[in-house]
Amino acid sequence: MEYRIREYMDQLFESAPRTQRAYELKIELTQNLIEKYYALVGEGKTQEDAFNLTVGSIGDVRELFAQLEEDENGQPVPQPVFYPQEQPSQRRALVRAVAVILYILSLVPPIVLTSVGDGFAGEVLAPVGMLGMIALATGLLVFDSLTHPKSTRPAPGTVVEDFRQWQSAKVKKKHWVAAFNGAFWPLVLALYFLLSFGTGKWYITWVIFLIAPAVDVIVNTLLKAMMEQKKL
Amino acid sequence: MSIASDMIRGHTDTIILAQLMAGDSYGYKINRGIQEKTGGKYELKEATLYTAFRRLEQLGFITSYWGDENTGARRRYYSITPAGAEQYGRLAAEWEQSKLLIQELITP
Repeated sequence: MEYRIREYMDQLFESAPRTQRAYELKIELTQNLIEKYYALVGEGKTQEDAFNLTVGSIGDVRELFAQLEEDENGQPVPQPVFYPQEQPSQRRALVRAVAVILYILSLVPPIVLTSVGDGFAGEVLAPVGMLGMIALATGLLVFDSLTHPKSTRPAPGTVVEDFRQWQSAKVKKKHWVAAFNGAFWPLVLALYFLLSFGTGKWYITWVIFLIAPAVDVIVNTLLKAMMEQKKL
Repeated sequence: MSIASDMIRGHTDTIILAQLMAGDSYGYKINRGIQEKTGGKYELKEATLYTAFRRLEQLGFITSYWGDENTGARRRYYSITPAGAEQYGRLAAEWEQSKLLIQELITP
């Protein structure tokens, strides 16, 4: 039922001016109406009756909106809240740069070792060296995205922060999706080279790139479904 | 009741200031206080209440701040300023005078 009140308020505020003040008013009003709704339910009203009484008690909002309009035109409106964007730290940049360098250099062992000689060096050391470097690079990227969750801290005490807090649970769960997405393609690439160098069947191993997107979609869908279940 | 509502409407500011004289409060609680005081006979429409909040805030009679509830959404609290308390005294005194005057006038 709570969502019905929110939905109603969304519609009601369609005609309100798009200002920070109007937004805060909407949040405040919604919060108070929800509290009222639950109080009515607590008094023994049915959900439907409580909803109708709550919504009915709002009254005529024209004057309220006209006042917001005035704020915008005449009175100084509070400055839009400034959210400092988190600057990527030097350490973070270094981690990423090293990962990229490792990806590029991962081709060196197969190139050098296979040209130097066949046998042990070419067959074993080359793929192992390359995969090791790719694994390290991928590990660095996953570490980077897990230890630096996307967060921009807005000034405390604002509605936006409330909203962030409310959302943060969702975002936390999304880290796993992000981690998977970050690691997936490098791993596919690694698998491709591993199979190709291992088997030498370059003419067929490229199918990996046809299968990979399908796997990507399936895993992402499964992860999302799992999160939905956890939420309920 | 509609005649009484019309009369009361002119005193919305006084009513809200009176609620805040008892301490900081937020929208729903203020309206609930009004309801309880009148035994459920009178209640402000939300639109009226919040229009009055903005007006009183602009006049400097009240200030507002977001509460720090740990659970759920935060509430916006209102607090009466010294100027607001003064205004409340004025309005209440005005009403006392009007009341006496009307009482005189409607007595046959």
